[in-house]
Amino acid sequence: MSGYKDIALRESSFRPGSTLCPGCMESIALQNVGRVSDNGRKTIFSIGTSCAEVSSLAFPNVVAWGRGDASPDDFAKSFSIIHNVFESAPTLAEAARDVSDILADHGAIDRPIQVIAASGDGGALAIGLRSLLHTIYRQSRITMVVLVNEIFANTGFQYSPATTPFAETSTTPVGEAQAGNPRLPLDYIHLCIAAGAGMVAQVSPAHGKLFVKTIEKALACDTTAVVFVPAPCISGWKFDDGETVHLAELGAQCGAYPAFVWERGKGGAVKDCAREADDRPRLEEFLGLQRRFHHLVQKDPASGQFVARPGREPDVERMRSWTQSNVERLFRLAELP
Amino acid sequence: MKEPIATAAPMPHHATPSGDLYPDAVRLERVREAHRALYTERETITADGNAAAALATLQMWRCVLYAGFPITPSTKWMETVAAHIAKQVGGKKRVKLMEAEHAVADYLVGAAAACRDLVFPTATSSVGLDHMTETTRSLGASGLGNVLLIDVYRATANFPLCIEGDPSDTLAHRDDGFIQIACRGKQQIYDTVLQAPCLGMHHDVLTPTMPGYYGIKDSHRNARLIVEPDAEVHAFQDRWIQPCPLPGLVNGDTAFGTCVTSRHFQGFKVSQKRRMERVLHWLPQIGADFERQFGRPGLAFFDTTGFPDDGAVDLAIVTMGPDFGTFEAMREQYAAKSGLRVAGVAMRLLTPFPRDAVRKRLERAKAVVVVNQAHHHGRGHLTLDVADALADLAVMPRIISVFAGLGGADVSQATWERMLDHGRAALGGTTVPPWAIFHEGRQL
Ligand SMILES: Cc1ncc(C[n+]2csc(CCOP(=O)(O)OP(=O)(O)O)c2C)c(N)n1
Ligand code: SF4
Repeated sequence: MSGYKDIALRESSFRPGSTLCPGCMESIALQNVGRVSDNGRKTIFSIGTSCAEVSSLAFPNVVAWGRGDASPDDFAKSFSIIHNVFESAPTLAEAARDVSDILADHGAIDRPIQVIAASGDGGALAIGLRSLLHTIYRQSRITMVVLVNEIFANTGFQYSPATTPFAETSTTPVGEAQAGNPRLPLDYIHLCIAAGAGMVAQVSPAHGKLFVKTIEKALACDTTAVVFVPAPCISGWKFDDGETVHLAELGAQCGAYPAFVWERGKGGAVKDCAREADDRPRLEEFLGLQRRFHHLVQKDPASGQFVARPGREPDVERMRSWTQSNVERLFRLAELP
Repeated sequence: MKEPIATAAPMPHHATPSGDLYPDAVRLERVREAHRALYTERETITADGNAAAALATLQMWRCVLYAGFPITPSTKWMETVAAHIAKQVGGKKRVKLMEAEHAVADYLVGAAAACRDLVFPTATSSVGLDHMTETTRSLGASGLGNVLLIDVYRATANFPLCIEGDPSDTLAHRDDGFIQIACRGKQQIYDTVLQAPCLGMHHDVLTPTMPGYYGIKDSHRNARLIVEPDAEVHAFQDRWIQPCPLPGLVNGDTAFGTCVTSRHFQGFKVSQKRRMERVLHWLPQIGADFERQFGRPGLAFFDTTGFPDDGAVDLAIVTMGPDFGTFEAMREQYAAKSGLRVAGVAMRLLTPFPRDAVRKRLERAKAVVVVNQAHHHGRGHLTLDVADALADLAVMPRIISVFAGLGGADVSQATWERMLDHGRAALGGTTVPPWAIFHEGRQL
């Protein structure tokens, strides 16, 4: 494993010039993945249609990818990226992996190549769930990064199968008859383990060292590694400037999306999130920072704390019990060999 | 083989946004050396259409990865490939079984972009092709001429479902951006598949190819097939297929599939259309070179029968596919009986439609009966293309539109006679409807 400092000084393949919102977690994640992947191996990257794609790979805007200001002299630093359709990132990556392997098998290339795919949660878990699970099932040696902002951000913040219960999205609005998203999220971590992934993790750059270490492990995995990156979305979650990393950390600590790393054959662990609710930060504080939950909580002027809005106490309790089951579920998954 | 195009100046190679190419990163000769020959001598075998297409891809050293998903009537292409690969101990070709056709198409994009010098084939049919549509449309615009999508024609639409072959699938995909070539007979299938990548991967063309043949009629029925030695196949293909000047994912530092603003979109579309137009220049030359080497007709815009040197005929039929053979067999007899000069055209190149060549062939026909074999909302896909091709003529032949062979039904001799009678009546001044459907010797 490389040192954190060493990685921080590497050349990221995600370059300045994207039009992602300032403070977008997708940008922070991709910068970090880009640095970790500067490791002496040529990188091929595939990306599904998403904010991260349309904001970074749009001509004649800056194509915010590649290492260095010009094409690198060193082949190992060369970087290629491909976008096809919304759901296709894992399949494209698998194909690039297979072609690289078959060329190597023929002795036609001798330099190592690593393949990374990225999608949003919409791309990976809604329209592309089949692609993702089958690439995992076929044990393709790729790293899949799923940027989970819990919405279809690119098309205007619609519900996705990863949306937190009660969250307001543009297709699960809050009204007299409905309090935001009525569904529980898909158990995507379990699905990926069941499909045969070699490694499944949920971690954001808010846990900086853990994040880069996890990506490094994922790149070394000899089957499919899937890293779900909780990605607070400033525009869709509606929070204040400068809160991205704080929210990512708070959400993980309070049980909405705990940091979790699991490796086949070794088991896993939940990190920085207590199993008991009393030992975790108050859920209301996490909800209160985002206007997508404005219908559930408000600030109590006396205490300065966020509390359930009058009449919404049962909904906040439901939310709490979902969070608890979420944490329990991950602790149980961590025990899988 | 790279000659400047006389009719249109070659465009610079800005087919996709491209960065640098590392020319030494991939040693292609290693792939060529690892190829295990299937045939060392010319042989005559018995094969059905799917086997003929499969053998052609197996003989190409550039085909090392075969992705697919089963669907009648194209399944046997994949099974034949898998059976051969399973027999080759130590062989390096691989089969990739995907979870759905959409995934196959996505996979072809990733693979073809990864290495632009290898050929990535698959075969599908009907709803399988429809299932790929989202990605075939992208592929068609991608510049990835190393994708070889074999379409074994089968009726589309499942109400009712019909597993036999009319070309409604390929004709519904005219605008996907593929070069579409129709075949009839096993030999033409084999020969066409061998030539298709030479056209698609030509530097002036860089457009994926979709050779096709009729399900059941051609895919499942056996006939004599001459197979060429692999070494000869390679010599032919290597004359035409030069290393791609554009970077791939493996040997490049590059980006594929970016978004563009509408302003820049125009340039991509102009380039896509120009690449497609150049097919009309290169296809006959590849076909002629094939004929020189193998002594059989190579790629052509169409096959013809019965045209005199001056092209003057009373009735010309235009169609595609193996039922043209029935017409060929009865043409002279019908001509003698009716006292008409009768000739026929079987289209091979569907997309881009060879307008000029079709016009030239038909300009001295008095009437043209276009026999469409696929459902269309109006007068038929072929009819519209033929009408467009003839539109510029000062004296335009009368165009009569008919449908026959829908769902892969045989177009019998009696049906051909009724359709020709229909054309003859129109020629004699009888008003005929905009289109008519014929089946088993009757107008329906
Ligand atoms: C087949 C298809 N359906 C719908 C769309 C429209 N679309 C583009 S991006 C997107 C949402 C992306 O959501 P996600 O994958 O979560 O990424 P995010 O934008 O949130 O980062 C949608 C619905 C599309 N491009 N293709
Ligand atoms: S909308 Fe959200 S996910 Fe998209 S760029 Fe902005 S912050 Fe990032």
